[in-house]
Amino acid sequence: MSGVPFSLMRVLLIARNTLLEASRQKLLSFLLVLALGLVGGAQSFREFNFGASELKFLADLGYGAMAFFGAALTIAATAQLFFSEIDHRTALTLLAKPVWRAEFMLGKYLGVVAVTAVFCALITGLLVAVLWSRESTLLRDIPDSFAQGRTLRIVDLGLAGYLQWLKLTVLAAFTLLVASFSRTQLFTVVTGFFVLVICHLQYLARDAYAQGGSTFAQVAAGLVGLMFPNFQLFNFADNVGAGIPVAWDRVARVSVYALGYVAAGCGLAIFSFRKREI
Amino acid sequence: MWRQGAGSLSSVFANVKSRLLAIVVTVGGLALTGAALRWMEAPLWAALRAEQPALRLDSAGAAAGQGVTLGLLGGFRAIVADFTWLRLHVIWEQRDLAATDTLLRLVTTIDPRPLYFWVNGARIIAFDMTAWRIAEAGGHDVVPAVQRDRLGAEQARLAIRLLEEAMTFHPGNAALWIERANIELNRLGDIEAAAESYRKAWEQPGAPAYAARLHAELLRRLGRKAEALVWLTRLHPQLPPEEEGTELVLSRIRDLERELAIPVMQTYLPAASVPPGRSARESRK
Repeated sequence: MSGVPFSLMRVLLIARNTLLEASRQKLLSFLLVLALGLVGGAQSFREFNFGASELKFLADLGYGAMAFFGAALTIAATAQLFFSEIDHRTALTLLAKPVWRAEFMLGKYLGVVAVTAVFCALITGLLVAVLWSRESTLLRDIPDSFAQGRTLRIVDLGLAGYLQWLKLTVLAAFTLLVASFSRTQLFTVVTGFFVLVICHLQYLARDAYAQGGSTFAQVAAGLVGLMFPNFQLFNFADNVGAGIPVAWDRVARVSVYALGYVAAGCGLAIFSFRKREI
Repeated sequence: MWRQGAGSLSSVFANVKSRLLAIVVTVGGLALTGAALRWMEAPLWAALRAEQPALRLDSAGAAAGQGVTLGLLGGFRAIVADFTWLRLHVIWEQRDLAATDTLLRLVTTIDPRPLYFWVNGARIIAFDMTAWRIAEAGGHDVVPAVQRDRLGAEQARLAIRLLEEAMTFHPGNAALWIERANIELNRLGDIEAAAESYRKAWEQPGAPAYAARLHAELLRRLGRKAEALVWLTRLHPQLPPEEEGTELVLSRIRDLERELAIPVMQTYLPAASVPPGRSARESRK
């Protein structure tokens, strides 16, 4: 796109349209309702808890729902919202106007990020309410167990939710990268889930890399460890459920780490999309 | 014709070249990003691993299994492990040894954090499974004592192995050492090993005082009464006076002093019974 300068307004317009379009998608609403239902009804699962403390169990379940349904929502939303533009030829009409391909991709990305932000905010809010209500009941019933007062801090619960969202933004960037060169939505969704699994397990490849093996395996494992972000770093839910405060400097570092991969994912997606024939 | 073929071939080459370039740029770009962020990621990862024992397994095989469940189940680990434990109970009631053992491994792999799974799992392996194997071999009245002991010892060793694995996830946990000592004492009949395990349990933070008392009791049973007496006289001042076990420790000290015929002037005198400004010797007079 020559002659027209890059416009952040156009990016935000595309993002707003993407968010609106996402709100009309039945699958996304279904995933949101499912996750909210699971977190809201978490207390009914208390009877099945044998090991961890009750509050930790509830927190685990809530953040588990956020991670699981959030990942499904992110991958499905990114693929669906990107390919709906391609398949319905609206991308062709849009890009015929003075709109950069980079603006289109960034707008799509920000739209998906906004969808995941709404999802994470709703789940975190509900989880805080469930945990707060249960802790209040426990404080009343067994005050001896809470000699130090409340164990859960709302700030920490919010930070754990923020980190889950951050993870989803990285996942969205990687799914968009896959979508930028993929020909079908199905391929994007399947590859997106593979990316999710690899990002959660890449530390095992790095361990294998450190422990030795053939030179080729070492190089391959090292490369996987570098290419894919380590999603385990975003998991602070274990600490929050146990009442261990979240360190701010660690949150800041994880944020910069996520931002680095988001920038790389989006940059490469734009590079790939610029060469794509629509 | 030839020109047409050459033209399509060159377009194929151009296409392949373009795709190869895209792959190289993507892989290279992501790898460079990872390398650039490694300085930030490495300390974070080290801190996280130190906090979560499940993430710092030495064995690659165990790490792979653990990592997969950790990574894929995320926060759902707790509830999946709980439901697996329920399933284990159903199988346990059917006395299916192989299935119980498999589910036990599965539960502790899915969620190694709760002690409940490890401690109860070790008890099932050491005591219940021994009973099942004896019943399968014909019952308590039919199976000779030697064979019963052999089966018990085999199961006890498996239970201890499970507890050792648990200790990699929960280092410094007194409950695991106490459970080990119980199995060594009640299933293996190895008093010396049990005494040692109770001692180690007492060394862990927050250990209950009865672990130290049982260590002395087992030393006494081993005939090492002088050693037991020294242990108890060192233990007694560390215990809070209002605790029920403190009185019991003092009574054991007196028993041992009698058994060892300790002269009155050398008997143990609790610090609380020495008035301020007087020595223990003066108090005895």
